[in-house]
Formats: sequence, structure tokens, C-alpha cells
Amino acid sequence: MLLGAALFCAAHAAEPDVVRIGVAQQGMGDPPTFGGSPAATAQSQHRVEDALKPEHVKVEWIFFKGAGPAVNEALANKQIDFAYQGDLPSVLGRANGLKTHLLLASNVRAGVYLAVPPDSDIKGIKDLKGKRVGIFRGTNLQLVADNVLKENGLTERDLRVINLDTAAAQAALASKGVDAVFLDYSLFKLQRQGLAKIVYASRDGGLQLTRQAHLLVLDDFERAHPDTVQKVVTSVVQAAQWSSDEANRSALFALWAKGGVPAQSWQDEYANQPLKDRNSPLIDPFLVARYQAVADDALRLNLIRQPVSVDGWFEPKYLNEAIRTLKLDGYWPRRDASGKALT
Amino acid sequence: MANALSRVLPSAGRARPRHTGINTLHAFGWTALPWLVPVVCALLWVFGSRYGWISAQVLPPPALVFDTLGALVRSGEIWTHLAASLSRAAVGFCGGVALGVVLGALLGLSPSLEAYVLPSFNAIVQVPVLGWLPFLMIVVGIGEPLKYLLIGHAALVPVTLSTLQGFRSTPPALREVASVYRYSRWQSIVHVTLPAAIPMIGTGVRLAFTKAWLTLVVVELVASSEGLGYLIVYGRQLFQLDLVLAAVLIVGAIGYVADRSLNALERKLDRTGAR
Repeated sequence: MLLGAALFCAAHAAEPDVVRIGVAQQGMGDPPTFGGSPAATAQSQHRVEDALKPEHVKVEWIFFKGAGPAVNEALANKQIDFAYQGDLPSVLGRANGLKTHLLLASNVRAGVYLAVPPDSDIKGIKDLKGKRVGIFRGTNLQLVADNVLKENGLTERDLRVINLDTAAAQAALASKGVDAVFLDYSLFKLQRQGLAKIVYASRDGGLQLTRQAHLLVLDDFERAHPDTVQKVVTSVVQAAQWSSDEANRSALFALWAKGGVPAQSWQDEYANQPLKDRNSPLIDPFLVARYQAVADDALRLNLIRQPVSVDGWFEPKYLNEAIRTLKLDGYWPRRDASGKALT
Repeated sequence: MANALSRVLPSAGRARPRHTGINTLHAFGWTALPWLVPVVCALLWVFGSRYGWISAQVLPPPALVFDTLGALVRSGEIWTHLAASLSRAAVGFCGGVALGVVLGALLGLSPSLEAYVLPSFNAIVQVPVLGWLPFLMIVVGIGEPLKYLLIGHAALVPVTLSTLQGFRSTPPALREVASVYRYSRWQSIVHVTLPAAIPMIGTGVRLAFTKAWLTLVVVELVASSEGLGYLIVYGRQLFQLDLVLAAVLIVGAIGYVADRSLNALERKLDRTGAR
């Protein structure tokens, strides 16, 4: 009888009791939610919960105000199993010995904006020399900001950089405590309220000035529960498909608005960009090249102490299986290293 | 203790060497006791990182932390940050102490002023210094004035209260002597009250430095572009916990050295005051 019980337990050891997904964003609303990516759609629509419900597996979404860096700390302490995180913080984690695999892309080709107080005389990046600038250190915003500065012949040393998280940056900008901030779509609301002026958008400078994010899993969890990983990936790919369908555009922005960023801001963020462009989960040559570039830039900027290679970091088998099962072959175009769509 | 015993028990002469041995052990034990906790912590750190009791990303091995410390010194970076932190601390601390002595003296000398001001003062100081941070950030921005104000506030409170105490606790005998000599009010303040209050003011200044130093680091964590607190944040955001610990070690070392120096100064003042 004991043997039977042991076998029974072994059969069910494949499923964990709870799946903890860390999100490198502050969750807002009640219950907390977020927006801006297929992972956000999956969370709002409870797709992961539904996929894991038959096995009685609970899903916990844990939000981190400290964004990517805070998620790294949670990963190091094994307090989360999956994470939705940006390119730079994950590279920092990998450089410091975190053992993870990247499963799929979630929010790619996003830009960074430079905003200043409305009456400021800063017109572009070159005017930032010697000014107090807020940058959220360690997030994927930082590297784009550093590359933008480099393209304009500046480095962080030419500015007085202050580390400010999303909320603090908006407050500092509104109260004119800083001369400029590099931030994301949350600036649109501030601009509409007349508290800030966006003077630069990095996407205008090309795809090498964009940031990417992804869903990753801790190696230990993946080894122990590959089936669960597959179910999670499949549900997020479903969410990615829903988020890429132009017919869902306004519904998508309304859904993401529950996370505190208004629908109008999402419209501004996605203006002139097809949803498929941003919400593609594919691990294609573009993504791999971008992540290696982030790793190389991080080394060049002394953000990491030894080089990081992306070889073996991406694990596309779950994504490929999900695409096969959901019959989404060719739905999203694959892109080459420079970002051009492969036919 | 050995002598006393041998007086009571003359036959304890044979036992004397043993008592001396135990005495030496006792003495050694008392001097070694303060080192017990730091050594145990250091050993826990060394073994914890070697055997992976806690993940290396969260608690880096001591060797890496000292390496980083060395790199900071070699690259010269540390001096910029140290200079920034120390200068902020100096300005805020001196301002807070000066204001605190004046305020405490005024409150100590005038019972009616104390009755008006002290209750409000006590109420305001209940708010922790960092509770004022968000409000002050909006009022004065996130530049140097914010740091000076908060550090000054942290230093002001203990100095005011201890100065007040000091001015209150002039020994009555000295006051009687002053009235026998028919000192004017000003003379008795300068020649009697103030010297008698100096030891207490010294204690207040020492406490004020500890608070000011701690406040400095925390304010730098939130809003600065150089300094030791800034190094801590930078290390944390870039997931370089060894940098964080290196900066923490420097902060602790400076705080400890300053505290010990002020302690020695205070004891010297005590001795000259007590006569």
C-alpha cells in the first residue's frame, strides 16, 4: 500500500502546488493588474489560471515596484518560478549567476521617451549635458537611454543621473525636481495633464534603440515541471495572439487600462505600429541579436564584470510546441538580426 | 581578589597560582567578549557563502566584497563619493548642532519660552526624519538643500534636548556660589551654567552625529547622483550586491570611527568639566 501511495505521489510530482510569476512592474488597481504585453493580457484574462486549473495548481502573480532589479533578487531567493522581465535586468541576473531560460518574447520593439517640464528649454538629447536626469537604473530603459546618449556623443558621466522608479520619476518631473527623465508610456498621461513635454522618442532612431522583454523560467523549476512550463507558455502565446489581432485593438487598450495606464496612453504608445509588431512572442534572429547586443553593451558600460553569451539561454521548444498546437505557424513574421521581416 | 582570599584563608597559599590563572582567564574573557559577536558574524558570512547557505547573488563572498572595495579605491571613484557624503554630513551636522545649541540654551534659560515651544517641538520630533522626506522633496526639490535640511533636522533634535537638560541641571551648589559672588545673569550663564552643561551637550552632539550619518545615507538612497548611499542604490539596481556591501562597510567604518572619536572628546570634556 505504501508503494502504491509512493507511486501515486510520484505521478503527481510533475505538478507543483503553486506557480509564482514575478512581474517587473508595479501592479495597479484592485486586484492588481498591469498592461503593455502578452503577459499582461494573459494575467488580466486569467489564461494561465484557466490552463492550470484542471490540475488544481494555483497561480500567483507577484508585482515588483522595483521592476527588473527587484525581480532578480526574488529569482536569486527562489521566491518566484517565472518572471516577466526586460532584457537588461535579465542579462545582469545571468552575469551574476542566475540560471534561467528565456521562453518567449513579451513586448518587443518598445521605445523610451525623454520628457522635460513644459517650460524647459531642453529640445533634444544634446541639451542634456550637465543636467539632472532621472533614469530607472538596471531596467531595460537604462540601456536604451545609454545608447541614445552615445549616439549623441554623451555618456552618463556628462549628466547628473538620479535613479528614479516610474512613480518617483513622474513626481520629480511634475515638481520640476529634475530637468528631464527617460521613461516609458506612463509619460503620455503626464503630457496630457500639461505636467511634462515629450521631446524625443527612441523608436524614431531605429530598432537598435528599442528594448525587449520576455518570460523566463528558473532552470530548477523547468527541470522539475516541464509540463507546467508548457501549459504556461501555451496560455501566454494564446494571449499574444489575442493581443496581435487588430480587431481587438480597442478592447486590448481597454483591458490594459485596468492596470492604471489609460487607454489613450496606449493608443499614443501604439500609434502607427501594428499590434503584431509589438506582441509577437517569437524567438527569432532579431531577438537573439538584440539580447547579445544588450549583453555586449552592458559589458562595455561596465554594468557587468564579465561577458555574457546568449548561447543556450533561449529555450524555444515550448514556444514552438505552443505555436504548433495553436496552429499559429506564420502568424507572426520572423525577423532577421537587423529587424527586417524574413519571407 | 586572590589577595583577599588568602587573607581570609591562610591555607589558600597553595591555591594561589590557580586563582591567578583563573583571574587571567577572566580578564582575557572580558576583553574578548565584545569581539564574540563580530567574529561569529564574520565566520557565518565566510561559511555561509562557501557552503551556499544563502545564494551568492544575495550574500556575496567576503573575498569579492573586499576585491570590489579595492577596485573602488584603486579607480579613485571612492573619493568622489566619500567627499560628497562627508561634505553633506558636515554642513548638515554643523548647522543642526549650532541651531540645536542655541535653541536648547534659549529653552533652558527661559521657562516661559520652554512652556510655549517645547510641547510643539516634542510633537514635531515624533515624526521620523524620513517621514518628512516626501513633503520636503516637493517643497525644496531633490538637490542639496533637501539633504542639508534632513541631516540638520536629525542633528538638531538630540542636541536641543541635551542642551536643554544641561542648562537645567546646573548643580545648586555652583548656583549658590554664583549668587554669593553677585554674578550678573550674563556672568552666571557664561561662567557657571554653560561650563556645567558642556558634558551633556557633548553627549547630545555624539548622538546627533550617529543620527545625522544614518539620515545622510538614507536620503542619498532616495535622491542623489553621488555619495555612499548612491553607491548602495547603484549596486542594488545593477544586481551587484558586493558593491552594496562594500559601500555598507565604508558607511559603518566611518560611523564607528566618528563615534569613537566623539566619545573620546566627550570624555575629555567630562574630565575638564568635573575638575
